Amino acid sequence: MTQHSSRSAVLQTVIGAGTLLLGCLLAYGATSISSEAGYGGVGPNFFPWVVAVVLVICGVLCVVHARTGGFRDLEEGSGDESAHWKGFIWVSAGLLLNAMLITTLGFILSCALCFVLAVRGFKSAEDKLDLSPKAWIKDLLIGVAVAAPVFWMFTQLLAINLPGLTNTGWL
Amino acid sequence: MDTWNLLLQGFATAATPINLMWAFVGCIIGTAVGVLPGIGPAVAVAMLLPITVKVEATASMIFFAGIYYGAMYGGSTTSILLNTPGEAGSMVTAMEGNKMAKNGRAGAALATAAIGSFVAGTIATVLVTFFAPVVAEYAVRLGPPEYFMLMVLAFTTVSAVLGKSTLRGMVALFVGLALGLIGIDQLTAQARYTAGVPELMDGIEVVLIAVGLFAVGEALYNVMYEGKTAETQNTLTSTHMTKEEWRRSWPAWLRATAIGFPFGTVPAGGSEIPTFLSYAAEKKLSKHKEEFGTIGAIEGVAGPEAANNAAITATLIPLLTLGIPTSNTTAILLGAFQNYGIQPGPQLFSSNGALVWALIASMYIGNVMLLILNLPLVGLWVKLLKIPKSYLYAGILVFATLGVYGMRQSAFDLVLLYAIGLLGVVMRRFDFPAAPVVVGMILGPLAEAQMRNAVAIGEGKWTIFLERPGSLTLMVIVLAVLILPRVARRWAARKAAAEGGTAAG
Repeated sequence: MTQHSSRSAVLQTVIGAGTLLLGCLLAYGATSISSEAGYGGVGPNFFPWVVAVVLVICGVLCVVHARTGGFRDLEEGSGDESAHWKGFIWVSAGLLLNAMLITTLGFILSCALCFVLAVRGFKSAEDKLDLSPKAWIKDLLIGVAVAAPVFWMFTQLLAINLPGLTNTGWL
Repeated sequence: MDTWNLLLQGFATAATPINLMWAFVGCIIGTAVGVLPGIGPAVAVAMLLPITVKVEATASMIFFAGIYYGAMYGGSTTSILLNTPGEAGSMVTAMEGNKMAKNGRAGAALATAAIGSFVAGTIATVLVTFFAPVVAEYAVRLGPPEYFMLMVLAFTTVSAVLGKSTLRGMVALFVGLALGLIGIDQLTAQARYTAGVPELMDGIEVVLIAVGLFAVGEALYNVMYEGKTAETQNTLTSTHMTKEEWRRSWPAWLRATAIGFPFGTVPAGGSEIPTFLSYAAEKKLSKHKEEFGTIGAIEGVAGPEAANNAAITATLIPLLTLGIPTSNTTAILLGAFQNYGIQPGPQLFSSNGALVWALIASMYIGNVMLLILNLPLVGLWVKLLKIPKSYLYAGILVFATLGVYGMRQSAFDLVLLYAIGLLGVVMRRFDFPAAPVVVGMILGPLAEAQMRNAVAIGEGKWTIFLERPGSLTLMVIVLAVLILPRVARRWAARKAAAEGGTAAG
């Protein structure tokens, strides 16, 4: 039995430290906000300071908890004990490529690509990864079938601009 | 009767073909997202927020509200048939309803859930009709100090009470507040935390955060940890309830409405607490205690489902009359109002009366639509559960892209979406609640403005919060909400320890 990853003291410490760091960054940012309060007495820098200080305190407490027996009252995240990274990479690739290509390929094709890659990821998580050309084409077609109607609904029906491969509003 | 006339006018607006169409589509989408695991009403509304650019305010609020309460109907279907709650409020339904389904009574469980939702939703809508204007009338008298304390109350309940760990709830809340700080300060028009990036001047879109945390985060979490989690589906049986089952359901529905509604109206967040309370009440009062947790008691489905719907409907009261969201979805609904330049609050009933009454009227209509959609047509929705998980989540990612990209047409936002998704995975894995992030982000700037106005009224003195009876009362309530559960828990633990001691001895 491996340890459930949410029980890892190292990861918990990293999360606590991240919170602490966020608090410090906010505090650093707050120093450059003016305290000009008008006649009210509370300036625009007051609330940022409150948030920064609370986050720093919370971060320290999280680190302390992580080092002394782990987060309190922790309900382990559902599912497996450790992450399935291969699937994660597929899905991440889908999402990031989509972000990079959406303006050049257009919404439909870019999203269909994201769809295909994400399906690969989920299938690989289920140990059913199928890399045959037939499966790729099938999923690509399904991806287009999902993305195209919503694209048309937005561009044609609601007249909201989405990037296309062409300027017709259809592809 | 004034309310009556206003409501009739509301019906006249809501019953126009175009608004009926929006209500219907909203109910359909709502039911679908309720049924589908991995996507809830908050995300659905967030993804569809771009339509606020083109669609008129009344129509889109009717649409969004339909999604909101429609999801509660759909959620029960998934909990009963799959034993994975479609959304948080149907957790309890999953316990009893699934037991019933395993014993071949899925149909009866679905029926009592849908009819119970209808009964509770309709009664709650009637109560909203009559109470909301009254609350609004009183709310006009509230000043910034009271508003600020009300918002603190909402923050406290959503972060400290609902989750298991106050510390992790606080972290989530303050991350949300930090996100809300980015952009132009409302009172002095000074840019804060924009790091010179012009895109950040307008602040971060709530769509981005909600969709990132709930949709992308959920998808990534699923691929990383739940690939091997197989789900078994119970068979659907005829949605017919026997006379005996009707007799047992009725009192449960009514009791649950009485429990759920008050919880929705106070800024105490969410529908988890009333559903659990209703479950406990039904279990205590039932003449068939042996059925609970074994073959499944119908009261255990009827009660929590009705409580859920009553609470959800009632959350519209703080949203519409005070402008205070108490759940994820209402926080995003508030964002939708803001997109139209409408600030919900006590003035809403006078400034946008037509919209509010049309919205309320549409809820009567929507509940009828949902009953029809969910009972005779339940078989159609069950087919949605047959969609393979890989296609379902990949599809959700496409819709997530649509919602986020449609809002600002920025490819950079899509990268940010991915980053927020990663944050969502970490939060889910390490048991940080996500709702406080969204509520903090939306409510934070409003709370800050109220706080600064309050101190300005007090001429720079913080004692203003103690001097006014209203804000002092609210402060006491906040402290009670923070302290009482702790005392109760300690007391219960001591009692349990004592009992354990005697049992062992």
